[in-house]
Amino acid sequence: MISVKNLYHSYNKDGKYQVKDVSFEVANGEVFGFLGPSGAGKSTALNILTGLLPLQQGEVVVGGYDLKKVSNERFNKIGMSFEQSNVYSKLTAKENLDFYRKLFDVPTLDSHTLLKLVGLEGKEHVKAGEFSKGMKHRLTFARSMINNPEMWFLDEPTTGLDPSIAADIKDIIKEKNKEGVTVFLTTHNMFIADELCDRVAFIVDGEIKLIDSPKNLKLQYGDKLVEVEYIEKGEVIKTTLSTVLPEDKRELQKIIEHHDIQTMHTKEATLEEIFIKVTGRGLV
Amino acid sequence: MKLFSSFIKELKLASRGFYFYIELFMAVIILAVFLLLVPDNFNNQRTEYIYFDMPSQTSELFLQEILREDTDGKATPVKVEVDKQEKDAMLYTTTDQKIYVLTSREDVIYMADKEKKIAAVVKLDGDNTINYEYYLQGYESEKFKNLLKILHVESNETIEAAMNNQDVRPLANNFNVLSDRENMMPSVLVFNGALMGLFIIAAYIFLDRKEGVIMAYAVTPSPVWQYLLSKVGVILVTTILSSFLVVIPIMGTQPDYLLLLLLLVTTAFFSSALGLLIASFYKNVTQAFGAIYGFMLLMVLPNIAYFIPSWNPDYLKLIPTYPMLEGFKSVLLGNNDWLYVLTISSGFLLVGVILFSISNRRYKKTLLG
Repeated sequence: MISVKNLYHSYNKDGKYQVKDVSFEVANGEVFGFLGPSGAGKSTALNILTGLLPLQQGEVVVGGYDLKKVSNERFNKIGMSFEQSNVYSKLTAKENLDFYRKLFDVPTLDSHTLLKLVGLEGKEHVKAGEFSKGMKHRLTFARSMINNPEMWFLDEPTTGLDPSIAADIKDIIKEKNKEGVTVFLTTHNMFIADELCDRVAFIVDGEIKLIDSPKNLKLQYGDKLVEVEYIEKGEVIKTTLSTVLPEDKRELQKIIEHHDIQTMHTKEATLEEIFIKVTGRGLV
Repeated sequence: MKLFSSFIKELKLASRGFYFYIELFMAVIILAVFLLLVPDNFNNQRTEYIYFDMPSQTSELFLQEILREDTDGKATPVKVEVDKQEKDAMLYTTTDQKIYVLTSREDVIYMADKEKKIAAVVKLDGDNTINYEYYLQGYESEKFKNLLKILHVESNETIEAAMNNQDVRPLANNFNVLSDRENMMPSVLVFNGALMGLFIIAAYIFLDRKEGVIMAYAVTPSPVWQYLLSKVGVILVTTILSSFLVVIPIMGTQPDYLLLLLLLVTTAFFSSALGLLIASFYKNVTQAFGAIYGFMLLMVLPNIAYFIPSWNPDYLKLIPTYPMLEGFKSVLLGNNDWLYVLTISSGFLLVGVILFSISNRRYKKTLLG
């Protein structure tokens, strides 16, 4: 599990905090998402949790390890996939993974298995420098699974990827989570957060504004609407009605009884709409 | 095991990169230049042009004097070609001079003008006194000009007797001396080993920073010092390879190779630790260039004192390359001066360990930098 209490971080130690009084907990086996625009403090918080940035103020426990007590041992339980691909371009895909396998003290996954998992089978002996951006990202992603991590940190796991690769990555995350892996991801993509996360935290200007499950957020903040297309006097009419307001409910009933319905959809508020509603800020 | 894996990975990376071959290529170039272009000892023979403007019986007396010092005891008729003009001359070769006796005053002036060498006309006046005309180049010192002025006031015998009365005693005579070519080797070892190591390890760090792999390493259980030490290991390998590539063909069996290896390892460790520390303050090679260049210039200063012993201020001895040069010279001479080399090596090892420890602390704190 991950426990964060009153976390602060200032890059220049000048009282201007990039992360301010952040507190949250992530249960074992949960997928927890940090949702916020660029520069909100998502990656800073993530880098503190993974030890890439020193803990300045606050209490952080990751996988049972208190970050105030430095221990490299904890990295045996942790996997980290970076937003920017960072592999040795002069080494082949297999050499990259083989090297990292030897750095862990726990059993590791076979390089071939990992490459197959991310769709890089047959590219074992190609230098990473010759890979496309998407292939490099997949290799970086594969490397993060090498030690079968219990805590998996993913920084913008699908940003900049084409939809099919992004879908593959999402499937792998879901699969690993089913196996019991705790996932902490940062994203500014509300669809990823909606699809993958058990809970999300909205973070703006270094502060957490709200934490809840996507479903609860939609129930709490979303309007319940239905979108109807029907034919009246030979013309297609499109309208959106509330399923809560009495007059809209009567209107909907009248349309169903007296007109030929072409399409009818219930319409939920998206996480992005809720984010804007709660924080007053966009996600870009 | 992790350290060894890191070292093997670094060797692979280095062998597929550009910097690894710079040192080896430099070593090959230096070796070729030393073997093919640099003589074992630089030629110290002066060249002089003389014309004797006097009857042949008189000039014969001078020539016989010269001939007594000639290495093969005979004059050789030669043609000296300068600017497509040939001049007839007789060549007398002594241990420190090449004397061309020309056939006319015009030829002497011509050679002084074209060859930029000191030339002289020895002339017998009507009253049978000998006059000496010297054609100088203008750069000669006042001391030299004054010497020429008094040289012929006294008789040669008086000057020689005065010289023989000087009490000159060597303070030591049981020492080895490097030839001119060998004497340049300590400089080569310092430059190709220590200074290149400083620059190249910084370049390796900046390449890793650019690729972001240092962050990926930081989220593994391996300590940062192993990552840094594996890079130092690559520098040690290239330094030893490139140094031995030059030293063995030129120096043969003369050096103490075990001591040489020890000094190469400790000095390369010191300079690569210094390179790591410098690189820890900068994000890329462009930002670091000024600092690296400054350090390299400072390190080069003792080389000047090495070749110009008259300029040797005390503060130079504080620059690390000063003891490096002295140490390498001692090792190359094959003096078996273990104590001296061990003392220097221990010093570089100790300072290297301190610099490495500081670098390690800095890299732990500035992984994202």
